[in-house]
Amino acid sequence: MFMTRSEYDRGVNTFSPEGRLFQVEYAIEAIKLGSTAIGIKTSEGIVLAVERRITSPLTEPESMEKILKIDNHIGCAMSGLIADSRTLVDTARVESQSHWFTYNETMTVESVTHTVSKLTLQFGDDDAGAGAMSRPFGVALLFAGIDEKGPQLFHLDPSGTYFECEAKAIGSGSEGAQSQLHELYHQNMNMKEALITVLTILKQVMEEKIDSNNVEVMLIANVQRGNFLH
Amino acid sequence: MAAELKKAIYPENATIGLPTQHRFDPYTLNGGTIVGVAGDNFAILAGDTRLSEGFMIHSRDTSKIYKLTEKTFLGTCGFQGDVLTLTRLLNARLTMYEFEHRKKMSSTAISQMLSTVLYYRRFFPYYTFNILAGIDTDGKGCIYSYDAVGNYEKHTYHASGTASSMLQPLLDNQVGYLNQEGVRRVPLTIDKARTLIKDVFISATERDMYTGDSLHIVTITSDGVTEDHFPLRRD
Repeated sequence: MFMTRSEYDRGVNTFSPEGRLFQVEYAIEAIKLGSTAIGIKTSEGIVLAVERRITSPLTEPESMEKILKIDNHIGCAMSGLIADSRTLVDTARVESQSHWFTYNETMTVESVTHTVSKLTLQFGDDDAGAGAMSRPFGVALLFAGIDEKGPQLFHLDPSGTYFECEAKAIGSGSEGAQSQLHELYHQNMNMKEALITVLTILKQVMEEKIDSNNVEVMLIANVQRGNFLH
Repeated sequence: MAAELKKAIYPENATIGLPTQHRFDPYTLNGGTIVGVAGDNFAILAGDTRLSEGFMIHSRDTSKIYKLTEKTFLGTCGFQGDVLTLTRLLNARLTMYEFEHRKKMSSTAISQMLSTVLYYRRFFPYYTFNILAGIDTDGKGCIYSYDAVGNYEKHTYHASGTASSMLQPLLDNQVGYLNQEGVRRVPLTIDKARTLIKDVFISATERDMYTGDSLHIVTITSDGVTEDHFPLRRD
């Protein structure tokens, strides 16, 4: 059972001699197989949009949910292995409620992202608590919401790394979409412009022709806190 | 015959029919009084510094007012052992919150947390009676009072502790203008509130054996905090 040099990518808890954790890197690669998800932050609120890949005309597009509500002020878009997101979204929802229960205030988007990031790193540990898996999570998340700091957008990847973004694309078309965002995004966008930008970019990176069935959108508007539109 | 039978079954010195009683007294009441008054842009928290147990005075300068954050203070009395544990626990929770959420806890967040902390000990409570005073996110003064198991309420003034039943009606009359007809309701100023608090404590010290020695007054405004000490009767 001695590990040869080329077998460092088998275990999730062994660094390669170059100092890499291959399984985590592969998990990040898995995101690039997922459908494209885009988030844009504006001063008025946040726009999230995800492509729905409808493989059969017999599926109900409405049942493919890739943007979920975490709390009244936070939403979450995802790309990658969507099934892996269930435990992460559950954690986010429970922690957000728990925060409200204990402190009688809404949890910030950053704090929610932080709590979920702790779970994404708990792979490979046999003694880890409920929700932890033997392998890294194969999903990337975009947490969007409005808290005391205003509109906030956070990106979380399978390595547990998270950072705040003004605009972010994840999934199979993310490279093209991200460079498009670099060109089209500006800080004084309003919600309508952001929505048009998101849909324009999705249209370009999607293989299918875009229509009301194969794209899912969430708007989190500043006008009224937690004003969700699907 | 019956007596002989009884003697045969039970030895002569055994007590029959009496259950063995075990007593568990984990609490003491260490006395003392705290008062909180909130105005439009300030909150005042005051407490005496006597720590006693029955007829014995343990300390004459143990403050019942604890600083939690720059603008939130806790007044707490009851059993001193629980007071010490509770305040240490709260300080730990405040530090953890600051690391976890990268911000200071607001007075309202602390008020809810204190309630949950107390309620989690619903069946072996901290024997403490608390008043939380602070400045809320709108810059307004706020006072919250608690019972030992976490029931809490927001007030503009409140008294807790051994002399609370003497002070509360006085505050109702002087601060709340309650139970009066044709009274002019003047908004409370910091100076008026401070003078009133000194007066009510002087009166409480005359009547309540467990209140006295000195008064610790903390005045919280959005500009900062001032602390005053005022001597009370020592007998």
